[in-house]
Amino acid sequence: MEITETSEGGKAVAVLDGRLDTATAAAAEAKLLAMLGQGAVIADLSAVRYVSSAGLRVLLKAAKQAKAAGHGFAVAGLQPAVREVFEISGFDKIIPAFDTRADAASG
Amino acid sequence: MDQPRMTLRLPPGTEDVARLLDEVEAFAEQAEIPTALAMRLALVAEELAANVVMHGTGAGFFAFTATVTEAGVAIAFEDDGPEFDPLAAPAAHTEEGVDSREVGGLGLHLLRKMTRDASWERRAGVNRLTCLLPREF
Repeated sequence: MEITETSEGGKAVAVLDGRLDTATAAAAEAKLLAMLGQGAVIADLSAVRYVSSAGLRVLLKAAKQAKAAGHGFAVAGLQPAVREVFEISGFDKIIPAFDTRADAASG
Repeated sequence: MDQPRMTLRLPPGTEDVARLLDEVEAFAEQAEIPTALAMRLALVAEELAANVVMHGTGAGFFAFTATVTEAGVAIAFEDDGPEFDPLAAPAAHTEEGVDSREVGGLGLHLLRKMTRDASWERRAGVNRLTCLLPREF
């Protein structure tokens, strides 16, 4: 899992690449929470082929911290298999998901 | 025709979960398992293995077997950790909002949602779970 920081329409974007799972959750969590300390974050998951429950926990913690801090947190570019996991977990109802990070930045 | 099958027995370390995932991904590719089904297979494998790593105090191994069948992928998972029935444990409440939504229990929720015909038994100090991941979900 690699996480690259960039921006889109003035908003911070974390570009995740690889598997978001038990092995990579801790590093991803540290990075996302640090970025959320500065403001709103869009997590671009278009290069993430796999998200397990450990990965979902990271995204839920990020959404909770964002809400507590009054920042926005959204995900973008979910692959179909990842979207399926989001839906089964009910995450589609609690974390805004956009097709692209440009949509997320303007949404 | 032979049914594609993988089996892997590992010690329950954090890095062994990643190793299992690597092997499951390689198997799925080789057996030409469709992407969404392969993802569910990896998810269930990780969930079961991570459970042993995190809660299976004193466990010496976990063993994962997957067999591709017409109906989907048949899974058998064994470990020698403490007695634990993943089918009976409390799962996450997926209808809660972001504030009240608890962080735990998601894995078991996914496991139960994605599989069919799950059954668990404890025999000779070993937990054994079998289930089917259907092709059509």
